[in-house]
Amino acid sequence: MAVQQSPSYFGKLACLFGFLLLFHSGYSTFEHLSYLKAVDGHESGLPTDIVVELLVSVAIFGLGIVLVADNFKEILMETEMAKQSIESLDARPSFYSFNHRGRAVFRNVVLKK
Amino acid sequence: MVNAAKVLQDLRASAERKPDVVVRLGKPLVENGAVKKLDADAWLVYEQVAIAALDVGDDALAQRCIQALEQKFPGSARVRRLHGMKLEAEGELIQAGEIYKAILQEDETNILAAKRQVMLLRAMGLPSDAISALVKYLDINYTDFEGWLQLADLYLEQLMYSQAAFCMEEVIMLQPQNHIFHLKYAEILYSQQSIGLALKQFCRVVELCKDHVRGLYGIKLCTSHLLKLSPSKDSTATSQEDLKAIDLLATERLIATYNAASSSTKSVSTKWIENL
Repeated sequence: MAVQQSPSYFGKLACLFGFLLLFHSGYSTFEHLSYLKAVDGHESGLPTDIVVELLVSVAIFGLGIVLVADNFKEILMETEMAKQSIESLDARPSFYSFNHRGRAVFRNVVLKK
Repeated sequence: MVNAAKVLQDLRASAERKPDVVVRLGKPLVENGAVKKLDADAWLVYEQVAIAALDVGDDALAQRCIQALEQKFPGSARVRRLHGMKLEAEGELIQAGEIYKAILQEDETNILAAKRQVMLLRAMGLPSDAISALVKYLDINYTDFEGWLQLADLYLEQLMYSQAAFCMEEVIMLQPQNHIFHLKYAEILYSQQSIGLALKQFCRVVELCKDHVRGLYGIKLCTSHLLKLSPSKDSTATSQEDLKAIDLLATERLIATYNAASSSTKSVSTKWIENL
């Protein structure tokens, strides 16, 4: 009975933005470290702006995911079982028998595409 | 082509018997060789189409599928079983029996061949032999719920309700979450006149599958039957007040379920409830 939700464009946008920020903060870290290496600095830790950018990107990304994600599915097995037909729940493929009307009924029938 | 393969796969997973659909989708796949593109799935499709072709009487298609499988897996017991099934479908029961016997002589644990033998005996019109063969099989493979289900069916054909009920109890022990099995058990109990127990089983059906109409009708049948009797002295039996409450609730759910149905269906169900 899951109601099909219309895709949340805001959520998708937030995801994209969050991802770009995350990527950018990663790239900045790399830049910063190679700069430190070049100038032979002994500074430990990262500049605050990169850390803040990272945290903000994670928050935006999380928000986007929550908005984009579909409705929850029932955890109960009964709801899945209730959707199935009696034919599939009571099926016994290894006990088929062939002396039934199907062979006579379908013999002269051309099954159309 | 991709869609056909997907539908066939879904049908294999759900085990529904829809031979007309399988042949309609599978025949072009087999005939133009597109099935080969499915890699490992191709052989499953061949087997599925072969069995479906036997169901609809398209023996040429079945032969074609079985031949393809035989070339890939020469001497395989599973392919030989398909041969046997083809012979069964053509009515050559004795020859089919010889194939199964040969498979079982080589490997007596081949459960597929053992199951086919049971159905062969049934097709030959020897239901009691089929039952004893299946009982022998279940003695070894007692966790095979399909086998118990089939045994229940065979017993029902002989109107042996208490044996069938026992088989359904075994099935329910193996698959307690399947409401259809509870429903079957409840209906057998009802036929056996164990109305009190049947009522409890019908309630279990509705508990497992909300607003299951057949379960609700079963509850209605049981409660109306029990309410007509004089109140039983048995302390384990459901009390009259409870019966009335269950009856009322089932009626309410039935009416609510049929509210969405067409007016003609609704009037038929209302009439049935009123006349009960």
